Formats: sequence, C-alpha cells, structure tokens
Amino acid sequence: MKKLNIKFFAILLLVAFSCSDDFVNVDSPFENSEDFFNSEEDYQSALIGAYDPLQSTYLNVLLGEIASDNTLAGGESAIDVPGIQEVDDMIHTPINQQLRDIWSWMYGGVNRTNFIMEFKDKTDFPNKNAVLAQTRFLRAYYYFELVKWFGDVPFKVDARIQFGDQFSIPRTPKAEVYAQIEEDLIFAAANLPYIQPQTGRITKGAAQALLGKAYLYQNKFTQAATVLEDLINNGPHDLIADYSTMFENDNENNIESVFEVQYTDLEGAGFGCLQCSEGNVAVGFNGIRNYTGPLFESGFSFNVPTQEVVDAFEPGDVRLETAILDIDQWAADTGATFSIGFEHTGYFNRKYISRQGDLNTGDANLTNPNNYRSIRFADVLLMAAEALNRGGIDDGRAQLYLNRVRTRAMLPEVMATGTTLTNAIYQERRVELVGEGHHFFDLVRTGRAAAEIDGFQAGKHELFPIPSIEIQLAGNQWEQNPGY
Amino acid sequence: MKHQLLTILSFLMLSFAGAQNLTITGVVTEADTGFPIPGVNIILKNTSTGTVTDFDGNFSLANVPSGSTLVFSYVGFISQEVVVTSAEPLAIQLATDVAQLDEVVVIGYGTQRKKEVTGAVGIVSSETIEELKPTRIEQALQGQVAGVQISSNSGSPGSSSTISIRGISTNGDSRPLILVDGNVIEDLSVINPNDIETVNVLKDATAGIYGVRAANGVILITTKSGRKEMPLTIEYNAYVGLQETTREIPALNATEYALLVNEAFAANGESLQFPNVSELGQGTNWQNEVFQTAPVFNHAITVKGGKEKSTYAFGQSFLTQDGIVGLKKANFTRFTKRGSYSLDFLDNFKFNAGLIFTNTNRRALPESGLGSVLFNALNNDPTLNVRENDGSFSISEGLGNEVINPIAQIDNTFNRSVVNKLSGNASLSYNFLDHFTAQSNIQFNYSHVKSTTFNPIAFFGSGKVFNRDRNELVIFNNYFRDYTFDAFLKYERLFNDTHNVKVLLGTSVFKTTGEFSGRVGRDFVGNSVAEASLDGAGEIQNIYPNGNATFDSRLLSYFARVQYDYKGKYLISGVIRRDGSTKFGPENQFGYFPSGSIGWVASDESFLEDSSVFNFLKFRSSYGILGNDRIGDYRFVSILNGEGTYVFDDELFFGIATGVISNPEIRWEKQKAFDVGFDARFLNNKLDVTADYFKRTTEDLLFSPQVSGILGASSPGSAAPTINAGTVENKGFEFAIGYSDQVNDNFKFSVKYNLTSIDNEVLLVSAQGGFIAAGGFGVGQDPPARMEAGFPIGYFRGFKTDGIFQNQAEVDSYPTLNSQVQPGDLRFVDINNDGVINDDDKTNIGDPIPDFTMGLNLTFDYKNFDFGAYAFASVGNEIVRNYERNQPLTNRSIYYLDRWTGEGTSNTFPRVTSGANSNGLFSDFFVEDGSFVRLQNVQLGYSFSEKALERMGFDKFRIYISGSNLFTLTEYRGYDPTTSTGEAIGGGIDYGFYPNPRTFLLGINVKL
Repeated sequence: MKKLNIKFFAILLLVAFSCSDDFVNVDSPFENSEDFFNSEEDYQSALIGAYDPLQSTYLNVLLGEIASDNTLAGGESAIDVPGIQEVDDMIHTPINQQLRDIWSWMYGGVNRTNFIMEFKDKTDFPNKNAVLAQTRFLRAYYYFELVKWFGDVPFKVDARIQFGDQFSIPRTPKAEVYAQIEEDLIFAAANLPYIQPQTGRITKGAAQALLGKAYLYQNKFTQAATVLEDLINNGPHDLIADYSTMFENDNENNIESVFEVQYTDLEGAGFGCLQCSEGNVAVGFNGIRNYTGPLFESGFSFNVPTQEVVDAFEPGDVRLETAILDIDQWAADTGATFSIGFEHTGYFNRKYISRQGDLNTGDANLTNPNNYRSIRFADVLLMAAEALNRGGIDDGRAQLYLNRVRTRAMLPEVMATGTTLTNAIYQERRVELVGEGHHFFDLVRTGRAAAEIDGFQAGKHELFPIPSIEIQLAGNQWEQNPGY
Repeated sequence: MKHQLLTILSFLMLSFAGAQNLTITGVVTEADTGFPIPGVNIILKNTSTGTVTDFDGNFSLANVPSGSTLVFSYVGFISQEVVVTSAEPLAIQLATDVAQLDEVVVIGYGTQRKKEVTGAVGIVSSETIEELKPTRIEQALQGQVAGVQISSNSGSPGSSSTISIRGISTNGDSRPLILVDGNVIEDLSVINPNDIETVNVLKDATAGIYGVRAANGVILITTKSGRKEMPLTIEYNAYVGLQETTREIPALNATEYALLVNEAFAANGESLQFPNVSELGQGTNWQNEVFQTAPVFNHAITVKGGKEKSTYAFGQSFLTQDGIVGLKKANFTRFTKRGSYSLDFLDNFKFNAGLIFTNTNRRALPESGLGSVLFNALNNDPTLNVRENDGSFSISEGLGNEVINPIAQIDNTFNRSVVNKLSGNASLSYNFLDHFTAQSNIQFNYSHVKSTTFNPIAFFGSGKVFNRDRNELVIFNNYFRDYTFDAFLKYERLFNDTHNVKVLLGTSVFKTTGEFSGRVGRDFVGNSVAEASLDGAGEIQNIYPNGNATFDSRLLSYFARVQYDYKGKYLISGVIRRDGSTKFGPENQFGYFPSGSIGWVASDESFLEDSSVFNFLKFRSSYGILGNDRIGDYRFVSILNGEGTYVFDDELFFGIATGVISNPEIRWEKQKAFDVGFDARFLNNKLDVTADYFKRTTEDLLFSPQVSGILGASSPGSAAPTINAGTVENKGFEFAIGYSDQVNDNFKFSVKYNLTSIDNEVLLVSAQGGFIAAGGFGVGQDPPARMEAGFPIGYFRGFKTDGIFQNQAEVDSYPTLNSQVQPGDLRFVDINNDGVINDDDKTNIGDPIPDFTMGLNLTFDYKNFDFGAYAFASVGNEIVRNYERNQPLTNRSIYYLDRWTGEGTSNTFPRVTSGANSNGLFSDFFVEDGSFVRLQNVQLGYSFSEKALERMGFDKFRIYISGSNLFTLTEYRGYDPTTSTGEAIGGGIDYGFYPNPRTFLLGINVKL
C-alpha cells in the first residue's frame, strides 16, 4: 500500500512538473520577418508582396480624376462616400477617409519595398539586381504618389518603418524624396530589360517613363526630355493604330502600354478590404448605375464626366467615343436601361467602366479585371513634347511627338510653337488621357488648377491635407499642409 | 457545543449500557414527500461501522451497542443523529437542506462549503435550468445571477450570446473563461442544458486561481453524474413548441409609401414616382412574408445510477429548431451523447471520467446588417408583389444596391455548418497520509467544423450587390484540438477542531491548436445546391494559397492556494498563480496573479448565535489581480502572414507580406478587482439576502488602436499592433433577495429578486488620438461608437439635435452644417458655440451600458400544480436605430407619417426629400432608450400524485406548458432591445436584429 502510494505520488509529481517554461515558446507556423531572405525564392516572394499595393492605386486614379474638372463625384446621393464628394467640390478637410486610405495604402507599399531593401545584402543570387530594380521602381512609384498628393512626406529608405518609429520620422522636403525617386528609377532603368518574360513585370521602359515623369513634375525639362526620348527612340513601344481598342480587356499589355497595373477577376473581394481586391475597384465605382443592356455592366455611377470635358474634344476627334459614353444616346440606340445617380451628367468614363465578359467573381463590382494603363506611350510622347517645348529645347521635336498622338486621333497636325504649342500640348494631354487620373496633377504642376477647377484655392488645394488623425497618431510632429 | 455534549452523553450511555448489542432496522424517507431515499449513509458514530439504505430506503445494521448514536446523512439533506436504545424499527425522515449551507460550491480545483465561501460566487442550479428550458445555457443565466449580463447576438436558432460579468472591462474579448467539468468550452451551443447540474459564476478576485484568463470572470459548469448506491433511474424530458416573432416594426403600406415617396421627390423638384396611388392599397407587408411560426422539438434521456464503488450516467439528447425567419433555412439541430463514470479502485484511490459527443447542424440566413433578410423586409418597396405573375420573384429596382426582395434572398441562400465535437475528461485522485490528496485531471476537446455555402447564380435587380453571375461553392474544414492537464496536491487538516487548514499546490498546462482549410469552387453546370460538389466545379481555388492556416497557443501555470478558518467563523484565503502564455514575448511571457479574500461568519459569534433575527450572517471581501491574454497569437513578433498577391501573365502569384504589425512590448492586461459583501438569512432561513459592492479597474488594457498609416498596417493582410494602453473602471452594487416558504402541506412559494448597478467609465486611452472608434452607422459614415477617457466604454458620439428648423428664418439665424439645410431638417446643436457645426460638435449622445439590470423569479407549488414566472429588466441603456436605409425609394416605419410637412407640423421627424440632406448623419435622432422589462418565462406544471404514479409505474410524471418571451415593456421601436452584437465598442447598434422568438412549449418530465 505504502509502496503504491509513493510510486503514484512520484509519477504524479514527475508528470506535473516535467513541463519546463519552454512549453510556452512556440514558433509561428509562418516565417518570421527577421529570419527571412535566405534564398532567391524568398526575395521573389517578398517582391510579389511589394507589387500587391499597386492594385490599391485604383483609388488614386479615381479620386485624382474626380478632383479635376473632368468629372463629378456622382454616386448614389450627396452623402455617398462623403470623402469623394468633398474632394470633388474642393471642400475636403483633414478628416477624409479616402485621403487617409491613399496615405496608408501607399505607405504600405513603401514598407513592403523597404522590407526587401533592409535585407538586400543578406543572401546573394545571380538575379538579385533585377529583383532590387523592380523593388526600387515600386518604392519610387509609391513615394511619387505620396509626393503628388501630400507634398513633403515622412520618408525612410532601406528599412521598414517599425512600430514606434512613427513618432520620430519628420516630413521630409519633397525635393529629397524626389532625389530618392530619381536614384531608384535610374537604378531600375539600368538593371531591367525592355522586354520581360512575364507580362506585368516592370520593364526598363516603365522605369524610364516614370523617371521622365518625375523630372517633369519638378520642371527638370532637360533630364525629362533626355530620358523620355531615349525611351521613345530605343524602347519597343509604339502607339497602337486603333485608339478604340486601347482599353478593352483583350488588348491589355499592348505595345502602347509602358506600365500597366495588373488586375484580375480570378479572386473574390468584399467591401471590408477594398485594397485586398485583385480586381480594379475603380471600374465598378465608375460603372453605370443599375445598368441593364449590352456590352457594359452595372456600377455605382461615380466619376461622371462633365459636359465641359466632352466639349473639350475637337470635332472629328475619334477618341471621344472611346473616352466618353453618352448614356442617353446609348440607351436610345440599344434599348439599355439604367438609373440616374447623384450629379448625373449623362456621361460615363467609358475607358474604365465595367464590361461584360469577365467572370464577375463576387462582389462583381469589385473584381473587374480591367488593367489600369498607368503610363501609355501616348503619355510618354506628350511628356517628351512638353519637356522639349517648355524646356526650350526643341519645339520641332515637340511638334513631332504631339502630332503622332493627334494623327492617330484623326486630327490635323499642330504647327504652333512656344506657349501656343505648350497650350496645345496641355489640351492634348487632357483629351488623350481623360479618365486616366492625370489631369488634376497636370493642372497643379503647370499652375493652371485655380483657373480651371471650381472652388480651387491657389496656395491650398495644390496639396491634399494630411489626414488630421495621421498627424495625431504620429505624435503631432507634422505641420498640416497650408490652408487646411 | 451541542455536538460535544451529545457525544459525551452517548459515551456515558454506552458505558452504562454495557455490552448489550442490538440489530437496528428501519426506513429512511424524504420528509417532504415521504419517498424512500436510497443510498443514505448510516454510520455508527465515531466508528467506521455503517451501512447504506437500499432501493426502498430500508436498512439493517447489526451489532449496534444500545445507547450508541447513528448518524444518517445524505447529500442535500440535513443529517440526523439518533440514539438507539431498543431494536424497534426506526422511521427516519430526512429534511431537505433548506438553508443549503452545506451545499458545495465549485471554486476551481476543488469545492468549498457554501458557508465558507469568501468570494462572490453566483449559482444557478439544475432546478432553475429545468424550469427555464433554455436551448442554450446562457439563457438560464440571464437575469438569474446578479452581475451577469447576457445579450443574445440574435434570436436565430443556434446563435450565440455574449456573457459579461460585472460590466465590460476590456474593449477586446470580454468573454469570461468557461469551463465545463474543467474543460475549456468556448461555444456553449454544443452543450445540452439538460446535462448540467450546476453553473457557478466566479465574479471577483477569487477567480484569480485561473490567473491570466480570469479577468472577465470564470463560469464553472458541472455536468450531471450518478451517485453511489443509487438505483438505476431513467429520466426522460421532452417538449414540443412553436415560436413566433414578438414584434413587427410598423412600416408604411403601399399607399402611404407611395405618397411619401412622391412627397420626397416633389420636395427635390423631381417628377412623381407614383402618379396614380389610388390602386395601390395595402400592398405587400414584407415582414408578414418573412416571419413565420416555427416549430421546436427537444427530447433528452438520461440514465444514471451507482453501485457501492462506482457511479455512471449516460444521456442522449436531440434538439431541432426552425427559424421564425426562413424556417428550415435557419434550422439548428443538435444531437448529444454523453457518459460519465466514476470508480473507487480503493477507498483512497478514485477514478472519474466523462465523454461528450456533440453534433450540431446549423443553417443561417444573412442577419444583422445591411442587406440582411430583416433589413430588406423593412426597406423593400411595399408596392411590389412577392412574385410576378410568371412566378418569378419581383425585382427591387432602384432602392439602393443592397435592398432586395427578402423572399428571393431566402430562396437563394444555401449554407450549412456542421460541428462534430468530442470532449472528454478523466481524473485520478489519491488520498494518502490521511490529509493529502493528489489529483490529476486531463480534459480534451476535438472538433471538426465543416461549413458549406452554395451561392447560386442569381439576379435581384440591376446593380444589386447580391447579384451573382458565377455560382460558387465554398467549403471550409476547420479542426480544433485542445487539452488541459491539471495536477495538484491538496492538504486538508482540522487541528484541534478549531484550526482548519487547506493547502493546494498545482500546475496546469493548456494547449490549443487548430487548422483551417478552405476551398472555393466556381462555375457549376447545374445551378442547384443538390448538384454542387467540388468535383463538378469549373474552377477550384484554395482559400489559403500559402498553406492552411494554423494556430498553437499554450499556457503553463503553477498555482497555490491556502485557506484557513478558525472554527468556520473567521475565514481567510490567499491565491497565487504564475502563468506563462504564448501570447506574449519572451520578456513578458510570465505573469504573477495574487489574490486574497477574508470572511467572517458573524452568526456563529456568541452574541448572534441565538439571534432571533439572523439565522446566518457572513461578511466577506476579496481583492486581487487578474489577467487577460485574449489577444491574437504572435502579436509580439513580426511574421509574414500578410497578403501579397499580384498578377503576372493573367495568373495569380502568391508572395509574402508582413501580417499584423508587431509590438514586442505587449504584456498581459491586469485587472484589480475588489469586492465586499455579505450573505444573510433571516426568518428561519426563509429570507435570503446577498449584497455586494465591487470595483474592477482594468489597467494596461490590450487593444489594437488606430496606428499611423506610415506603418503599413492597412496593407492587405496586415493590421494594427496590439498594445497596452488604457484603463477602464467598472463599479457597482449587486443585491439579491429571496423569500421562500412552505405555508402548509399543499402550498409553498418562493420569490427571488436581483439587482445590479454598473457604472462604467474609461479612465485612460493612451493611444495617440485618445480614443478608439468602432461600430458602423448608415453607409460610409464614421464609426459612431467610441472608447474615450471620461466616458462609458462604447459611448455613442454624434450630433445632438434640438428639434427641427420650422422656417427659413430659423435656418438663417442658426449655424448649420452646410448650405443644403432647409426648413424641415434636423437642427444640430452647436455644442462648442463657435458658430459652425462640424465634427467638433459631436458629443456623447448615449451608451449601450445599462445603469441597472434586474431579475425576478416567482414560483408557487399548490398540491400537484407548480407555477413559475421569471422576468428581467434593463434600465438606462441606449440603442442606435440603424435598420433604415434612408434612400428615396426605400420603405420607412410609420413614424414618418408624423414627419415635418410645414411650419409647426413636427419637431421630431424631419421632412422627406430625395435631394441632398444631412438628416441621415448620425445624431441623437437615431438613438433611442433601450430600457425594457421582459416577462421571459411563465410555466405551469402538473405532477401526478403518488397513487397515480404507482399505477403507472413511474417515480415522477409531470406535464407542463410554458411560454417564453411573452411580452416586453419598452419604448424601443426596433425588434428586440435584448439583442446586441456584444461588442465593447459598437454594441447596441441595431441593424435590424433578428428578434428572440416568443415560444410556447408543451412538455413532459418522466422519471422511472
């Protein structure tokens, strides 16, 4: 009896106290971010992660277009997405969810690229420069968006912004940010091929085009002209002959597309995480409200073109039909039906409204597969023309590039020079690129916004406010942008 | 004293009686009923000689010295001592222990006599559960235990409830720890309430024995088991019932609707939508269409018994309940099987085991939110028919993209969630060296949750978000496993009959793991659920492209408890527990949780011993530090489980990205809990009073606040870090009073009432910004609920209104939000008097926390009839009305008939217009008083008399009728003021909650 007693007690004690504190040290089934980057595959995986936030730039494109005089906010009612409505009316304040989304999502992209850069020296492999080149292009792309929207921004390179760092990173003058953008893009252009084996990968052409654009935004006309002409002359890109096919889903990644954000309808999405969608959310937002009829699909009737931008097209411009859908005319021709949303103008942004024929994976409004043609060769030609003209470099070559675009649009050539040519280039940019999210920033960088946009106050609206909550969350160390 | 005297006396008698030995026979019966009691222990006092009664209550004990004392004892009855001097058969009547002071209370790793409990423990007995017939055990706690608040998240079958004990102390997961026979059970829907013996709720610092998991309180559930020497008994309980909705929100009929829509369009200068309203009539009442009377059926059989050294119990139950919305489409069916067994290998070596298997099958419709069935029923156009002439469902065009025909929605919903769960426990205890007991327990749960959803191709109107061009089948297979292993050593000793010492030393390990896998198949040829299996899918996608999601979290604990009492009069106990949790990083992994309590049984003092007022009086107090580790795994380390998906070559590529932003500094949340109270009984134990004051201050609150966007927390698959940054205080009173009396042989009754007051205040939110916002209101509006210092947790922040602008002059003379404001619109108050209405004018316009909650229980027994009624109430909580879509063409409640239509017509309901207006912005116009009193249950039963039972061969045969949720007194206009999402921040916002049904049951209880 006593024996059993002691034995039992001993076993019990043994079992009971055999657990050491190590029992509660459990490794995550997922990789630890500090112990990653041990193979090329790890770098490639992280690179895919860094591409991902490109898809969330749908909001930059949508809101950028609405901010301009090209389109109105639209939607269901005056309180449908107040943040969008306010930007349209130039009454936006530092409390604006969509501006906060752009801010946060772009920094998400910055952090994912900086994660790779933080560990860039950890493991060597033959293709590493190609990976780093894509990474640096992406970082430049995200920072460029931030600078465009917010001006001076908190800036960090080659290391993640970790929890706690937010209190100590000041807003950095945008010139410094641009310097990094240029450096990143020069590296990217030097280390990437014009043709990538996979469509959707960043190319040398994309890096050159974005570099040219960044120069142009800083009025560095000579550098802009040089890099853009290099691309025009040595790159593989050209205008496609038929503008009307440019935005169709079966003509994605065509020869005119220098950089294209890739979207797909292969995965579902929901309103809970719009930035998680693999589809182009803007396309559903732009779509015709309660539409039933051929070719197109229904959407939320945001971003509706104004009569003014329709009137901006010269008579005979073949691009009008591709860019703008006159819904009343369309309904009369086809018997389609639709309902009238807020600020209905009768027009829709035909380049980026949903089309039939995709998979409509739920929520169908959020999973449109339409790729966003971020930088088209037409844009490159017009940027080159502008740089050559405004930089006083060569109006002849400027005309040449401008007229390549006009000729395709079935419009007569422009022979003007000087500021007349400048204005012609501006006008061409507006109609060639309408609906693509560039116009507001073109107006701002060329100082024309106050004259063109109702409610735009010079000295204030060139930049959007930093969301006030973001200022608070970073310890109130940042000055708000002027006027807000 | 009496005790000792008796002993001495018997000794004396024994010595006088010499060697004369008797054989004593007799029968032991229940004093109340006269029923024989089997298994009564009869011991010859101060010896180990004894026997037990047989099935018929008879006993026989030989060799009893004349003059010795026999002690008759049985659980639940007052022990009796009888001095025997002759061999005459004894007829012993044992009285039930009314005072129940010997009732044992489960306090964690042991039990304690109720009299000696120094903590605040709430108890729900099996009788209460039997009375209430809950389909889920939470329903039996509602209003029964002071300080315990239950809000059902929905009235749909199988849906869960939120339990909060003594207020909401954390903005995170505020669920208490629930242990069923020591086994961690998170989802109570798998438990058949019939199987439950008692529910004990540890409300104060004495819960500290559970350390890092105790901050939200601990609920200990004990399931039924057999008793030793108990004859085989079979119990059968069954009921069948009908459920119906308690309320339809009065909405406009077709004519009223059309007129109002016309008015709204006219107000905006638009053409009339319904040029001819004369033919519209009543139209379709969509709520009538969706609400139906639904059946519920339950039966349960339990077999239990015991032998000399073993006990056993087996049970089986079946419950099936249809929904009052959607009937079979919202069915919940539960099948349980359980067994328990105990065996004493030796007198000091005991084994105990139990096993529960549960199978639940639940189907559910979209509920509580934009686009839920009830939301659609409230907002859909009443001029539409359910179906068109060709039999197809009507299409709700133009009502807002989420509002669709609710009947079509029900018809197109197909889902099923099947849970198979096996839970078990086993324990060995070994008693040695007289005062030591070593015990080890193992508890485990294994469950497989398979959920299947089929979404057919469907069209509900152009642009509707529910339209589906591709059908899909989504299947999740999730596996959960956990075990708890406890081992402890107890030392219990009474020194000199005065110093009672109990020491407990133990360790516990807990490990829970899970694996989630899911696949979605699309493009099935047939568009029917019957044909849909992943084999037939045109395309299959893995929901976890980077491999199945898993988790593994663990706890390693050591604990010690010392209890001491002096003659059962002065009580003191102390607990310390050390917990290591995988939730925290290496530096903060271990936490120490001390707590202590004291008690004084004043009624045992000489000056009260003979008191004619007090039968019992005990004062008690406790203080301790409790922990909370209910946060996600691996929050202290940066792991790559974010989403990094992009498209190359038109195909998806899955990369990696950072998940939740890490915070290596996080540590356990700690709560300082203080309680002081008393328990008293008066008037021959008929009146029973318990009162408590408590104060719980939760510090280092763990939560995920908004963080700076530059950290990348809003990237796909990422999230804000968890940090310790806040303090919340809950304080209040609990008061419970009960009176029960046996008036005469035919009549007895009891009345019980409890009251809880809770004062909740957030003392600190040290996250940047100073607040956390959550919850939703309308579409695209700011979260309306906040946690902010100086306010109750989750208070509603919005505009305060001051009536309605009656004319343009008023509009002109008052600050307005914007230039769209016209006469007939709500007038928002300029709180800060700065001449403009903006975000700074938003203020506290209510909170979802009640000031008081109450419960009232009444029972009467008259002859063979028994009657019970039970009501509970909540006072001072607010609810946000958020079930109105407020679009020009959506339907509205009839209150809009009293809208403003011109100067002086209304100062409460604004004008209707299809144009831009700000009346839909969150303001106190949408906040209503959610106070209520609900008659939750009335039951009338009839038990057949003994004579009739003998003829039928039953021990008990009772039939009853019962009605639940009979009526609710409230001014709240929504469906059900008792429902809430239960969220700390964002609770009390009503998206069109599925109301708890009113239920009528007819049932039987049979015992043989």
